[in-house]
Amino acid sequence: MSKHSFKKPTDDPIWLKALLGAVALGFIGILLLAPLVLVFQEAFAQGLGGFWRAIADDDTLDSVWLSLTAAAIAVPLNTLFGIAAAWCVAKFDFPGKAFLVTLIDLPFSVSPVVSGLVYVLVFGMQGWFGKSLADHNIHILFALPGIVLATIFVTFPFVARELIPLMQDQGRDEEEAAATLGASGLGTFLRVTLPNIKWALLYSVLLCNARALGEFGAVAVVSGHIRGVTNTMPLHVELLYNNYDYVGAFAVSALLAMLAVLTLALKSLLEWRYADELAAVHRRH
Amino acid sequence: MSAIGLKIPLRSRHVLPGFSLSLGFTLFYLTGIVLIPLLALVIRPFELGWGGFWAAISTPRVLASLRLSFGMALFAAVIDGVFGFVIAWVLVRYRFPGRGVLDAIIDLPFALPTAVAGIALSTLYAPNGWLGSLLVPYGIRIAYTPWGVLVAMVFIGLPFIVRTMEPVLSEIGQEVEEAAATLGATRVQTIFRVVLPMLTPTLLTGAAMAFARGVGEYGSIIFIAGNIPGVSEIAPLLIVTKLEQFDYAGAAAIGVVMLGASFIMLLALNGLQGWAAERR
Amino acid sequence: MLNVDSVSKKFGRFAALNGASFVAPQGGFISLLGPSGSGKTTLLRILGGLEFADSGSVRFADLNWLDMPARTRNAGFVFQQYALFRHMTVTENIAFGLKVRPRRTRPSVGDIQKRVKDLLELVQLSGLEKRYPSQLSGGQRQRVALARALAIEPRMLLLDEPFGALDAKVRKELRADLRRIHDHAGVTTVFVTHDQEEAFDVADLVAVMKEGRIEQYGAPADVRRNPKTEFVSEFLSV
Repeated sequence: MSKHSFKKPTDDPIWLKALLGAVALGFIGILLLAPLVLVFQEAFAQGLGGFWRAIADDDTLDSVWLSLTAAAIAVPLNTLFGIAAAWCVAKFDFPGKAFLVTLIDLPFSVSPVVSGLVYVLVFGMQGWFGKSLADHNIHILFALPGIVLATIFVTFPFVARELIPLMQDQGRDEEEAAATLGASGLGTFLRVTLPNIKWALLYSVLLCNARALGEFGAVAVVSGHIRGVTNTMPLHVELLYNNYDYVGAFAVSALLAMLAVLTLALKSLLEWRYADELAAVHRRH
Repeated sequence: MSAIGLKIPLRSRHVLPGFSLSLGFTLFYLTGIVLIPLLALVIRPFELGWGGFWAAISTPRVLASLRLSFGMALFAAVIDGVFGFVIAWVLVRYRFPGRGVLDAIIDLPFALPTAVAGIALSTLYAPNGWLGSLLVPYGIRIAYTPWGVLVAMVFIGLPFIVRTMEPVLSEIGQEVEEAAATLGATRVQTIFRVVLPMLTPTLLTGAAMAFARGVGEYGSIIFIAGNIPGVSEIAPLLIVTKLEQFDYAGAAAIGVVMLGASFIMLLALNGLQGWAAERR
Repeated sequence: MLNVDSVSKKFGRFAALNGASFVAPQGGFISLLGPSGSGKTTLLRILGGLEFADSGSVRFADLNWLDMPARTRNAGFVFQQYALFRHMTVTENIAFGLKVRPRRTRPSVGDIQKRVKDLLELVQLSGLEKRYPSQLSGGQRQRVALARALAIEPRMLLLDEPFGALDAKVRKELRADLRRIHDHAGVTTVFVTHDQEEAFDVADLVAVMKEGRIEQYGAPADVRRNPKTEFVSEFLSV
């Protein structure tokens, strides 16, 4: 049997496979892997001791605390929003539904700087409410509320985008059955809907959280960059880097990078095991 | 109905409960978080009238920044289109150990905070960085030049291409390629005459998404760019600068231009996705 | 003459073909008939070069058939789901096999045009040159697929349940047209189907297959009158 009979016509010839493989691997290696490796290499450039010193710094810890706080507020609120939006879009019919869904997708297509800009225009000193807020000594910008708002803006689509198509796919039958059996709205949601969407919920909260902790552009605009007070972790990275504290900047970056890698791993795991229950996978396949 | 004891008022048009609550909350959230701030953005530049708006965005510095952001994003989208396609092809069609891991890594630009990516890329391509130092002997400088902007945009745009191409590549099905083979086409002919044309709408969709992301990107770019006004200053950075100078109207003007571009991109994307669906 | 000798193929542990053999005259019309899983499509794809056999041999027109890559066999293949090139017009689809030929053997543009025109007439689709597959009905698409396969002047014509996706009336029409075209062109044709009425209606020779082997092979009338095994008689009586 000659070698021809062993190669299907839809297989690429060996030279093509080698070429494309080399190009793909090379591109991924240089573009994606090199920066990631660099982060860790620089973070530990002064050994484990240098790394810990940078992390344990007061301002760094403050930034970690601020990031976690902002995420702890933004993510649950956005989750609630996502569930509410998915509930009314998937289980009911009403005019303007398509427009609503498009509106929800908006932050994904807007620059993060614009996302922060809009809040400055509303709450800033020259903004709509700036003056009246200042008179009442309420600080939105350059303080936690502003940061939370900007974070909410850029991350609120995550949960909604995942739940809406999934719940639409799942239909209304089960919930309607529950209604005819006398279940209340909340009861129906908790006992019937939630179990069906639990993996999608987990998946989207995971992504929402990662983005919330890592958001830079939008928060940079509203935060005021006050060291130790209104710097989230990404902003603190910027500050350290601009002050030539490279080990410090990369140490904090390494924390964020570890979170990113963990998020990717969990994401892949969920996609692999629960593909049927994730709209994101349906969209892709 | 009341015989079964349902808690639904007879005049409600909805079978399931919670409509007004969920829609109400949704609309309230959207209005407060999205609509009102966007309104502020759209109105602000015009407090100086149309003339003021045009004056604000037609200064050389603003125009240069817009040219840089849009131009480099386009260039980056093209590069990503080519390499992203190859990567999607390899990931979908070839079998090799570690494929799953490689596939997961593609999402790194999505998952990694932009500031982290920004300082990493900047350090990598600086004249004394791992990659930058390799190019210095050839007179190629990447960091602190407009090319730094390009590299950063290629970095963040790549996942869009790969992720939109992957499902379509696996869906295309063998038969069309088998048909081409039985008709006498070589593998290379099949790829160029049959497979590639079928994928064009999808490739364009992914490239458009990468482009849109590149135009608005901030954190990944500002560290590697150099940020010299008129040369390597991207539009989002100029917005931030103007805000720091309290030129709210000017910043909002640029913001409106970018928002307008986003809308156009959204429309174009919808059209492209419709075209892609037709080709299926 | 087409001489298929003890062809076997496994997919993993599943033996799709287990020593299938038959002989057919040049220009004959053979139908491979059987239930799903009987190996008929696998055998057809091996003849087309889309799968490779684990063992056995095929000789056709004095050629060692299995040693040739699909590209060079000149075996026209018609798929059940048409596999038309959706981004090309009807004309471009049909002309494809001629356009991809190396310069030496490629016909001139004018010759290609004429050939496409003649083929469209043959399959009764004249006038639809500029249409795209999405603008055609199922029956029309299959006619285009047939014309496309015929354009390369194939030595062998292979059809994989080509009418399976169409309704009964269209199937009958296409069946008759296929037979007519076969008689006109004189090309050796192998036709896979699970529908015995179809097989018996259109073929000169029928091979009833079961679990990778050919249970019985002969002219339709013979097979019907003298079923050799219980399987054959049961299969035909349904």
